[in-house]
Amino acid sequence: MNPKAAVVVYPGTNCDRDTYYALELAGFTPEYVDWHGDVKGYDLVVLPGGFSYGDYLRAGAVAAREPVSKSVRVYAERGGLVLGICNGFQVLMEMGLLPGGLLENTSGTFICKWVDLEITDTDNPFLSRFKQGGKIKLPIAHAFGRYVKVGDPNVALRYVEDVNGSDEKIAGILSEGKNIFGLMPHPERAMEKLLGWDYGKNVFLSILDWIRGGNRVV
Amino acid sequence: MSFKYYDELKKRLGREPTPVEIEAFTVMWSEHCGYSHTKKYIKMLPKAENAIQGNAGVLPIDDKWAVVFKIESHNHPSAVEPYNGAATGVGGIIRDILAMGARPHASLDSLHMGDVTEGIIRGISDYGNSIGVPTVGGELRISEFYKHNPLVNAMAVGIVERDKVIPSKASYTGQVIVLFGGATGRDGIHGASFASEDLEGEKATKLSIQVGDPFMEKQLIEAFLKMKEEGLIEGAQDLGAGGVLSATSELASAGWLGAVVYLDRVPLRESDMEPWEILISESQERMAVLTSPEKAERIMEIARYYLLETAVLGEIIQEPVYRAVYKDEVIMEVPISVITNPPLEDVYPYTPGEIPEFKHIPFEKVEPSNVYFQYDYMVGTDTVLPPGFGPAIMRIKGSEYGYSVVTHSRGDLGYQDAYWGTYIATLEAVRKTLAVGAEPLGITDCINYGDPDENPEGLSAMMHGLKDACEFAGVPVVSGNASLYNTTGGKPIPPTMVIGLVGKVKLAEIVKPHEGDVYVIGWDRFSSAYERVIWNVIRKLHSCGCFIMAPSHMESLQGYQRTFSEYGYTLHIDKISAAPAHSKIIVVCNDNRCIENVDSKIPVVKVGVVEKA
Repeated sequence: MNPKAAVVVYPGTNCDRDTYYALELAGFTPEYVDWHGDVKGYDLVVLPGGFSYGDYLRAGAVAAREPVSKSVRVYAERGGLVLGICNGFQVLMEMGLLPGGLLENTSGTFICKWVDLEITDTDNPFLSRFKQGGKIKLPIAHAFGRYVKVGDPNVALRYVEDVNGSDEKIAGILSEGKNIFGLMPHPERAMEKLLGWDYGKNVFLSILDWIRGGNRVV
Repeated sequence: MSFKYYDELKKRLGREPTPVEIEAFTVMWSEHCGYSHTKKYIKMLPKAENAIQGNAGVLPIDDKWAVVFKIESHNHPSAVEPYNGAATGVGGIIRDILAMGARPHASLDSLHMGDVTEGIIRGISDYGNSIGVPTVGGELRISEFYKHNPLVNAMAVGIVERDKVIPSKASYTGQVIVLFGGATGRDGIHGASFASEDLEGEKATKLSIQVGDPFMEKQLIEAFLKMKEEGLIEGAQDLGAGGVLSATSELASAGWLGAVVYLDRVPLRESDMEPWEILISESQERMAVLTSPEKAERIMEIARYYLLETAVLGEIIQEPVYRAVYKDEVIMEVPISVITNPPLEDVYPYTPGEIPEFKHIPFEKVEPSNVYFQYDYMVGTDTVLPPGFGPAIMRIKGSEYGYSVVTHSRGDLGYQDAYWGTYIATLEAVRKTLAVGAEPLGITDCINYGDPDENPEGLSAMMHGLKDACEFAGVPVVSGNASLYNTTGGKPIPPTMVIGLVGKVKLAEIVKPHEGDVYVIGWDRFSSAYERVIWNVIRKLHSCGCFIMAPSHMESLQGYQRTFSEYGYTLHIDKISAAPAHSKIIVVCNDNRCIENVDSKIPVVKVGVVEKA
């Protein structure tokens, strides 16, 4: 049986269908869980990109206080695998599950493009299929992606060139227990060569390996 | 208030119109709603034989899927309030597509302005990015001609299962009209009539401007598609120009029926609105659907789940009248056909002359990648060929076919000759579409023009140019929009016909950017005969595996250089000089035999190379 993945949908989430499609391609059985829902019982929880609540107060700020987010916290604290992409990363940070902050790009504009990235940690459930120090391409699409460091985060992904002004070119970080991964680039947009590059697939396949291997965090 | 068709209205009603009726008809008989000046021209254009009629063109892609597409102007609002004017232009056209039952799948724009107006670009970017519809292309042309009258045309493409298109008409007496979306305020009152007059006219105030809320739009899209999935919607019309009045009267009238609407039921943002203001407000993010009384409750439940306001607005009646009621009082009652059959202006006779010797009129070249990198062109994970090469190519998941889409115009030529400017723009759009390996399916056109009462000939020239070009190319016009009175202090913009062209493409046959020698092939002057030859050259070279680009301006190719570098290639190319109107293309080819097979009568010049970066 395929592992079950929850795709969390807030009002304004707009990468939910893309994430669902990517998870299916990778071999998961995805299900949508809306903002009233509960993520208990899933093998993986994904917080997709978009503009939850229009990003009107602050990106991810309202979503972080919804009932489903409380269940994500319980799930994460028990060691469950949580992947936050773009707005999902912003939500995880607003919930305090990942350290730091995400501010407006130094360009002051939304940026949508393929960027080069370096894998800086492969000893985790999300990136085990990559080589340490390997270079990959993934798309970014955000206005508020400038990562600002607090403390000493577990950096898993760095931009090769500065694209948005992030501290130390940080593009993605892991929680202390490495069961939570937040990143600004969109792996779910990089699943098929038809659309450019397919490096994103290995993110989802790494997670699949991890779950199938019967690993538990902590 | 001046109302051009006052006498006509009086004649048709057989009495003096009431003040409410004057407000209502000023909107409904404006060019923006009624197409008074353009309807008879539109009737001349070639139609698609396989199209499903409605408020946007619907054309089949394969046995299962159809594409729906339409372009619309939002020029006047963007002149007064760039940010919201542009944002709501995107929102409006998206809802137009949605109302057909299609999921909005791609959006594009065509922008003309005096200098790069950040507000307009930001308005499109903030709205489009938020609603999760990729902005996959467009054009940005800078010229003094558009300093006071910027053109903001937005196009949307949707995909829909062929047997699940939603009609935009009432089908039986007793059908109820359910309204849902954002609350109604005073914004956009007389937006449609303002959009149909000179910019120094009395309505050119910020009060006429609609304000956009992309979060609400996203919720509206998802709510509507959920209702459709549950089979609850029997007919639909978005609320755009003319608000409640326009949407509900069109639904009823298209089904040869009447309607009664209860304005006191409309959820308001401003509690002290007058009934006539509720009737014609152009508040954004609203939709009207037809359903049975039994299904109405479930529709409202879904709307509330998506945090939207909703109410049963009225119902369809047998009597062919439009009745607006406010707190048990009838505030307007007129024969419905009077609303939806505005007075029509006649076709102005026109005979085209020879193609003139076009002069170069510099439209400043803006690096388009600076703009499209601000748009999310990848959300939806269907963008196969991104913006920057000409038309974008979109796939449809589960189909072996996809579509190409492009917006294109030639205001610089239109200024010199309205007929030929339109004709050439149309054929260039065909050339661009063929270049990416697609075959043209249909056109949506946006007429941007000055004052047709002052100068009816120019409008006629444009419409004849479009007609003749479409007939030459064998491409139907499936939808469109007109923006007239783009004048300031009586000074008009150049006649600017914006062509939105959708083509059909087989995914397995797409050629992506690659290494190879770069050639310019074709003639440095435009003619229909040359064009026909070039189209065949394009088809042959594409099937030979060449990557082809068909820019109308060849002076600056930095945009291509940047886009190639995104793909990991470097484009080295000599400077190419080109006439303002030409019949030539740029070809990247890694197999000499393809080029050797080109007919020796056709000029071929090697101009550069594409290498791996």
